[in-house]
Amino acid sequence: MPDFIEPLRRRLVELGCPMTQMRRLVREVADHRDDLKQAAVSEGLSGADAEARANTQLGDPLALADELMTALRRSSWWGRHCVVGFCVVPLLAVPVLWFALLLLQLSLGFTLGFGWDPKNLHAAAGNPVVFRHLVIVIQCANSVSIASITLLFCWLARRAAVNFKWMVTACTICSLYALFVQASIKPHSFEVGASWTPHWIEAAIPLLIAGAIYVFHRRTTQCFREKVAG
Amino acid sequence: MKKTNPSFLNGVPELLVLRLLARREMYGYQIVEEIRTQTGAALSFGEGCIYPYLHYLEAEKQVSSQRREVAGRNRNYYKLTARGRKRLEALTSEWKRVTTGVSLLMEEQYA
Repeated sequence: MPDFIEPLRRRLVELGCPMTQMRRLVREVADHRDDLKQAAVSEGLSGADAEARANTQLGDPLALADELMTALRRSSWWGRHCVVGFCVVPLLAVPVLWFALLLLQLSLGFTLGFGWDPKNLHAAAGNPVVFRHLVIVIQCANSVSIASITLLFCWLARRAAVNFKWMVTACTICSLYALFVQASIKPHSFEVGASWTPHWIEAAIPLLIAGAIYVFHRRTTQCFREKVAG
Repeated sequence: MKKTNPSFLNGVPELLVLRLLARREMYGYQIVEEIRTQTGAALSFGEGCIYPYLHYLEAEKQVSSQRREVAGRNRNYYKLTARGRKRLEALTSEWKRVTTGVSLLMEEQYA
């Protein structure tokens, strides 16, 4: 690839452009550059001059990458409304989604395992082994719910190619929510709601997901740089 | 679009692209060139900046694209969809309404 395209590709990766979008943008800009060169050649310029003119017309590849990313962000609702999408929507949607996912998992679990008869819960409360299993199931359901919601917002942020800080904001809101709101089971009762006892494990899940995505992004960028340099 | 009167020109790039694609299918470079030549260089997309915009229109199902080889060159050709045609009709009538209003005001001012 000529000098213009690789810096463009590298910058797009650095800015967090989704891979599919990046490949397509780079391919189309390369086609565009070839067209500009061809137009210059047909005007009588030499190959080198035509290439230089095409590069001048396209401008600085890093600036073009920034412009492409801005346009990409503006092309989606989530990219245009970051504050609403990654601060307000999680505040409102996380409780609803969390509760819905929790109910869905518990419905499936109880339907397959116990049935919905409260007598079964009372019977389980009398058996320490079964009750311990129930507690683990509820904790897993909590964790899976909050992890699913966090992944949903991370996916939206990556898809809209927004700045990493918006993904972290949404993950932090999910984390704060998981810290104080829980479903728990006690002998003869099942409770869903907020409590002042912090739940550190569930709260850590969204932050771990954000951290893992950040590390993955850094590694991808690093690998890409090494590949280009090699 | 260049950053002149961004709010005033909202919707204009969409109108121009859809209008050009209503005539025939085109690839990015052709669209940029047609806009430049047909508006007498009064309006122009930054080179290369049209692509995220075309992808957005494709995501909105207003245009569709196909990578094809023509005369030894592979390019993404964009064409208008039925949804894009409807959108073009709506934008055209809105544009006519705005320009008629502005013209009336300007004529009165300079009469």
